[in-house]
Amino acid sequence: MGDLRRPRRAADRLGRGRALTAPAKAGALVRLLLDRFPDLAAGLWTDEDTVEVTIEGDRNVMLLKALRDDSGLNFFYLADAAAVDYGPTEHFEVVYHLYSDRHPAWLRVRAKVNRADPHIPTITGLWEGAMFHEREMYDMMGIVFDGNRDLRRIFMSPDYRSFPQRKDFLLPDDAADSSAAGVRPLERPETWDLTRLTDELGPGVIAHAEGES
Amino acid sequence: MTRDVQIPDPLDLDRDEEARLRRVAGLAPTKAPAGEYAGFESVGLPDRPPQTEREREVYTLEEGEMLVNMGPQHPSTHGVMRLVAKVRGEVVTDIDPVLGYLHRGIEKLCEEATYTTVLTYVDPMDYLATMHNEHAPAIAFEKLFGIRAPRRAEYIRALVVELNRVFSHSLMMGFLALDMGGITPILYGFINRDEIVEMLSAISGQRMLFNFFRVGGVNWDTNDEFLSRLGTWRSHVLKNVEMSERVITDNEIFRARTIGMGTLSGQEAIALGVSGPNLRASGVSFDVRTARPYSIYPELEFEVITHPGGDSNARYLQRIAEIKQSIHLIDQIVDKMPHGPVQAQVPGIIRPKPGRAYAAIESPRGLYSVYAISDGGPTPYRFRMRDPSFVSLQAIPKLMPGHLIADTMAVMASFDPVMGGVDK
Repeated sequence: MGDLRRPRRAADRLGRGRALTAPAKAGALVRLLLDRFPDLAAGLWTDEDTVEVTIEGDRNVMLLKALRDDSGLNFFYLADAAAVDYGPTEHFEVVYHLYSDRHPAWLRVRAKVNRADPHIPTITGLWEGAMFHEREMYDMMGIVFDGNRDLRRIFMSPDYRSFPQRKDFLLPDDAADSSAAGVRPLERPETWDLTRLTDELGPGVIAHAEGES
Repeated sequence: MTRDVQIPDPLDLDRDEEARLRRVAGLAPTKAPAGEYAGFESVGLPDRPPQTEREREVYTLEEGEMLVNMGPQHPSTHGVMRLVAKVRGEVVTDIDPVLGYLHRGIEKLCEEATYTTVLTYVDPMDYLATMHNEHAPAIAFEKLFGIRAPRRAEYIRALVVELNRVFSHSLMMGFLALDMGGITPILYGFINRDEIVEMLSAISGQRMLFNFFRVGGVNWDTNDEFLSRLGTWRSHVLKNVEMSERVITDNEIFRARTIGMGTLSGQEAIALGVSGPNLRASGVSFDVRTARPYSIYPELEFEVITHPGGDSNARYLQRIAEIKQSIHLIDQIVDKMPHGPVQAQVPGIIRPKPGRAYAAIESPRGLYSVYAISDGGPTPYRFRMRDPSFVSLQAIPKLMPGHLIADTMAVMASFDPVMGGVDK
């Protein structure tokens, strides 16, 4: 307790040299994870309170179900599900953050998704609450969750045709200088059938498609 | 003397009668026969085919059912949200929440802003928990940058977020009663809130969007006005809370409309991602402050409060218990507050090394978390916020079938959603 009362001057300075080593509290979890899933060793990474694993997108349901139902791991609570765009030449990632009361560290599962054909199985069968997260990811990034029975836009209007959080979506200031302007006034399409639109133009930032009037 | 009033059973109404009632109610006539997709015209929107299975299900009417559009400007939707309710008479059979009326694209904006500026953009997210909105990004950026806020800054942070929690919960008590037609408690709620808001504006200089947190500390140290207001407030806050409690808790109408309403079991709540007081009111002991301790919470003494009920009343009682818990925490924080600087040395433009950081905090509405990715530049490459009200809102379509329309708002108010956070 004496340590707590003394002002820690060193901590006030920039701690640039502070090594991000895996603390003891993540150690037990790492050992248990590698024991259950030896193939996760390749993508394993830890920081002070998070253990991170990287998987291919189509493995997500299997792995998350095992993590949830295994009594030793017991990651029963889905804290977050979010999508990350690593740029037009890279891939998407769907990132799940899981909470367990058995381990003092968050578990981050990064599932890779092919950017040209962004499909990944839904996890709404495991956690119903993933529905809004998946709808948001579809709305913002255009990632299609196979098996999700309510995959429609959640924030943008139903006739919106771009995916605004993709990295190649241009904001108005940048778009003004670009020939392929990223933002244009909303046009109401002749039909509201978005599946048809997606089939014809393919997923992606539709406003960028060439030859579209 | 009573007169027999014949209330027609909606199931007995023939189609002509239903069409007449729809005309009276100002609704467009239903073209579709029973069991077929009715379309968006029935709620006064341009017609279009359904996009998903679920949408078809909601917009397909059985004999005697109709769609009622609530919002987006309905005063009890806690902001701007639209609920499409499918009703049979006055009984709700299905609900489809329609979001996005307040969507400002804050995540995208934050990806264009420097790390310091991000903390100003997140303020209007959950506008009743502004301090909490700033807390999680501040922690995440400090992790990315590899610095720690000085201890006094951490104590001041904990103090202001607990004060913020108290006023947010006070308002929830008022709004819940307001949605059931009780006007008085919201006035008490705002009295409780205004005292704290004045206090926080003394320390931060702003009244609603405090913009108080900085990467590596807080903007200002405590000052005389803040401490004096804190002392005055502390001397009578328990009395004030008990006064609001006396107005609401044992009120017969309030009890009749909350006990047994919208009962959510712990298992369901976990599956739906419900968090915070709403989850703890279903008997699940999950509080980020103790589950994943951050800031100075490990040094404070408190126990996670849970309530076994799971209904609206339990969620209300949970809030009251948490107000008292927060006041207890504030006492400890003021007692233990150390001297020292309130801001670490941080360059004007922060460029963290490439990396990822996740920070979660307990906001008045539950688990609020930030996932930030740095690519080494002056702005975050990806900035993700998980807002608790956004996720909790999914409980409404689960819980409402079988309840009356009027109770929809009461149950929704018991979840205390804030649309600024839901729509980002």
